[in-house]
Order: sequence, then structure tokens, then C-alpha cells
Amino acid sequence: MKHCTQCTAQIEGDWQHCPLCETPTPGEPSHSPFPAIPLNYSRRRVVRILFFSSIAVILGSFAAQLLLERGSASIGSLRSVWLGVITMWLLVVMAARNQRNIAKNTVTLVLLVGLICVYWDYLTGWHGWALSYAVPIVCGTSILALLITVRVLRTEVGEHIVYSGLTVLLGLAPIGFLVFGWVTTPIPSAICGAISIIALVMLQVFRGADVRHELAKRLDL
Amino acid sequence: MTRRNWVRLDNASNIFLAARSETDSKVFRISAEMDHEIDPELLQTALDTTYDRYSLYHAVLRRAIFWYYLQDSDLRPEVTTDNQYTCAEIYDARRPGLLFRVVYHHRRINLEVFHALSDGTGALWFLTDLVAEYTRLRYRQQDLPENTDTAQLTAQPGGGAEDTQARELTTDSFRHYFRGKQRPTEHPKTSSPSMSPTKTAYRVKGTRTPDSRTRAVELTMPVKDVLALARAEEISLTMYLTALFFESIRCAADGLGKSRTLAATVPVNLRQFFPSVSPRNFFATVRVEHTYGNGPDDIGTVGRALDRQFRPKATPEALEKKVRRYAKFERSPMLRIVPRPIKDVVLRVINWVNNRGLSVSVSNLGRVILPEPVESHVGRMGFHVSAVRPQMCAMSHAGLLTVSFTSPFVETDHIREFVRMLTSQGVDVSVAATRVTEAEFAEDSEI
Repeated sequence: MKHCTQCTAQIEGDWQHCPLCETPTPGEPSHSPFPAIPLNYSRRRVVRILFFSSIAVILGSFAAQLLLERGSASIGSLRSVWLGVITMWLLVVMAARNQRNIAKNTVTLVLLVGLICVYWDYLTGWHGWALSYAVPIVCGTSILALLITVRVLRTEVGEHIVYSGLTVLLGLAPIGFLVFGWVTTPIPSAICGAISIIALVMLQVFRGADVRHELAKRLDL
Repeated sequence: MTRRNWVRLDNASNIFLAARSETDSKVFRISAEMDHEIDPELLQTALDTTYDRYSLYHAVLRRAIFWYYLQDSDLRPEVTTDNQYTCAEIYDARRPGLLFRVVYHHRRINLEVFHALSDGTGALWFLTDLVAEYTRLRYRQQDLPENTDTAQLTAQPGGGAEDTQARELTTDSFRHYFRGKQRPTEHPKTSSPSMSPTKTAYRVKGTRTPDSRTRAVELTMPVKDVLALARAEEISLTMYLTALFFESIRCAADGLGKSRTLAATVPVNLRQFFPSVSPRNFFATVRVEHTYGNGPDDIGTVGRALDRQFRPKATPEALEKKVRRYAKFERSPMLRIVPRPIKDVVLRVINWVNNRGLSVSVSNLGRVILPEPVESHVGRMGFHVSAVRPQMCAMSHAGLLTVSFTSPFVETDHIREFVRMLTSQGVDVSVAATRVTEAEFAEDSEI
């Protein structure tokens, strides 16, 4: 074994110099109980900075729209291009976050896309397309998509049930649009509402106990 | 259909999640050195058997709205070579996995555990059973006891084979002992444990390691020599080592400057006073300090002063009072309705305030005794903890005391002083260190 003449101690491993005082170490190298694991510079900080600066740019872009005149009179189709680019950017950032839970991702996506569409419609002069078409279609299809995905991926019930429930509840919103007469065409909202009600009944009948178990766990005080 | 078992994370464990950072993963490692190169396949078989006995170790950590919780899983652990630096991160909120790993390197079996799952004693039970099972497989021809189960547990007060159920997920010793009505004798008035004023202490500074890994240096020495030194000063081994640690830091820092107080936090295993066979966290910490420059500062005097502070704080009554206060704080309605991310921030602030009053941490798992046929195949055992400040961990087995130093800093000056103080008194010390800087790796590749 190597040893350090200054510390008068034995040194395990193949240190050429004492790890404590850097004095050259004579003697035969031995096995170290610790393997030499190469340095590994984490990119986590860079990723975090990129994430937060992206979010800042995206939020800034959405806020900047309010400074421009509403309707098509101001910057015309450029606004839609701008909104399209930052929406795309936002979705890419969300995808890059790589949340493992598909149901949770779906809820986030439905909320984000729904809110952006409504805002977009509002900015371009409120033609009602967001509430009549975009939101009900996104909500309805996401419920169907989720039903299929959790089956295909065999996601554990406890993993997705709360978020699936939330997606279904979001799907009930278009019924409200119908009641308050906010829509120009009632069909998408009616279909979405029907899907949600059926899904909700099924959830209650087949998975009621699971939902209560998961909620009790997640809301435990 | 699976409706999994779950349990809210206990009292002490929440702080590990809040205080976790890039430099301090809140992971600790316990190692056992065998008398031969490890056979990975046998180790995997032994791990599978041991894993089946410890349902707590099946748990993954999940986040709820108000608390973290542990939930049962179907995951299986896999033995790997020691391919990450010591105490590398285990818990990743986005990819819930098992909260421990078993790795091997030459003759060593290492168990690394995320501290929110288990404490040193709990992890030592697991490692003991693992090593016992591995030894049984390895030396099958020899006459080893068939059932190595609870080898370590039975040595504990209240332990016994019938109590192994207690190693399940849902046993929370804090709740068991400190939740009911308080004994009528004491009524702590403090409203919150965090706000008790702590004196600021000398803080060790240094250069952080390039990739934020923990620097670990392990010293091995004959336990009887160090015990003799401690006995000559009439103090316990832990307090002797603490006094030596304080002195090393003082020497390495070339004097302490304005803040002349060094303070250490020492965890105390609550199982010795409140019998429990649950491997979940069950400890409390005691703070001891010494202010230099007010009289004699030799190792013996400092050690005795620390001992005098430590003893009254480490009695069952004092510990119960302290833990009850924490439990009361945790149960306060105000805190309960606060969502988890905000709780994390609150705990992080409390932790930061507490850290200002601490220079180092000291932890001693004591002397480990394994069941006899296993005992003779196991050499030194050691443990160390990822650290936000310089930390010393001690443990002894087979007549060898291992004292491990970990810190987030590159510098090893205080360890050099520590070693030289021991060797100058005739103790044989052997040093094993991890490489953490570019220069150290360059030296390694030159060979």
C-alpha cells in the first residue's frame, strides 16, 4: 500500500500524491474502495435557465398583444403568425419537460390550448370560433384520446384517474357555453358535453372507489 | 386492479425533501467489506430475498397537494457496479423510482438510501440482512443458519421475528410514541421549534467540487487505540471524535477569526429509548457547541465540555420534549392547510436558519455486531452522508473504526489535521479518498 510520509498514514488506491497534503506517496498502489467516476457536468442549470427564459418570452409575447389594437386592423395576419409561433414554442417547452404522467400532460395541454384559443379569438375581434369550435373539440377529443392512451399504455388506474377525472370535468365546460348562448354553432359543444357526461357516469360507476381512494390520498390533510 | 398502500411521509423526513439541493442529495451510504471479490449474481439473489422482507423498501415517493407520501410499488431493485460517485442523487420527482440502490465494488457491498425513506439504523438492518443472506449463498457448504432474517433486528430492544411486520410501510414510530396525550409533567410553551434562537457558529468555507459531487475521505483505524485515547480523557468515543474534529477545523482554518464558536449537530437514535422495529426515520438531533478562547482548549477539555452538554440533551425525557414540540408544530392547523410547495419553502427557510448555527455534523452508528458465521467474512464497515457542511460519520466493525468525512468542498485540510493528530499519538490510520478535481483525475490517468 502507498503511504504518506508527512501524515504518516497509509493511502489506499493509486494516488501519486497524498490526497490530504499532496506529498508524493511511495509504495505499491492498492485497490481503492472508491472507483474513479469521471466528472459529469450537469446540464440541469442550463436547461433550467432556458426553460425560464422561454416562459418569460412566451408570457411577454402574450402580454404584448394587449398593447396592440384588437381586431384585424392593427398588424393583421402577422399577429396570428406571432401567436402561432409562441404557442408552438410553449407546447415544445411543455413537451421537453417530459412529464411521465400522460393524463397530467393532457390536463395541462387542454387548459393551455383552451385559454390560448379564447385569448386569440378575443385579440382578433371575437368571432366566437374559440368557444364554438376550438375548446369543445379539444376537450372532447382529449377525453377520447386519454381513454385510448391509458388502455394502450396500460397506465395504472391510480396514476391517471384523478387527471382523467379533471379532463372529463373540463369537458363539461362547453355545456355552460351552450346554456349561456356563447356559441355560434351548438353541435361541437353538444357532442363534447355528451362525451363528458357519458365519461363521468362511467367513471363514477366503474371507478368511483378508485377516484375516492386517490382523492383521499392526494387531499390528505 | 391495484389499490396501493400508501402512507404520509413522517415528521423528520419532510425536511430532507425541502433541504435537498444540487450539492446535498440527502443520500447516505453504508458499506460492508467482504473477505472476497463480490459475486454480482449471488448479491442480486440475496437482494431479491432481502427486498421481499422489507416492504418499506418497495416504496416510491409521490407528491400530494398537502404532503409527500410513500406508496407501494412493483419495482425490483437491480445490483450494479459502483458506477456513480458516492451518494449520487436518488430521488427524482419526475421519475419516481425506488429510494435506495445496492452497488458493489471489488470486495465492498454498498447500500445507498435516500434519507426520507430510512435512517442509518434502519438501513443498517437492511444491509445486515442483505450481507447475511449473501454470505449464506456464498458459503452454502458451510453450516450457516438457514434463516438469516432479522439478524440485526433481534438484537434490538423489542425486536423479534414476530415483529417483522413492523417493517411495513405504514408503521410511523413518531406517530406511535409522540402523538398521544403528553405526560402531565411537562408542557413546552414554545409555539414553533424553528424560532428558538440559535447562535451563529463558524461556517466552514471552501471551493465547491466541479460537478457538485460529495467529496468523501474514509479513514480506517484500530478501534481499541482510539477508544483508549477517549477513555484516557474520560469521554465517550463520539465526543472525543467531535472534539478532535473541532480542533482539526480550527487548525485547518488557521484560527477561527471573529466567530470563535464551533457547533455540531449529532443525531440520536430514538429506538434506544422508544423501542421500535420500523426502519423508517426515527431519530432526533442534539446540538453541541464550544467557544474557543475562553480557557483551556485541549481535546480533553473540549470533549468533556461537549459531553456535559450532550448528556442532558440526549435523555429520553429531553428528546421526547423536543420531538413532541416538532410533532405539535407539524400538526398545527395553520401548517396543515398550507399546500406542499409552500411548506417546502417554509421548511427550506427553517433549515437555512438552522444551518447558520451549525459548523459541522457528527454521526456515529456505533459498533456493529453480525451473527457469528457472517461476522468472520465481513471486515470493516463504514458509512457516510452527502453533506451541505463538513460531516463526520463513524462506525466500527471487526475491530476497525472507520471515520468518514464528507463535504461539498474540494479541500481536505481539516482531515489532514485530524489524521496527523491521531497518527502523532501512535494510531495507525489508512486513508481512502474519492477523486473530485480535474487534477486528481489527470493524475489517475497518468499511471
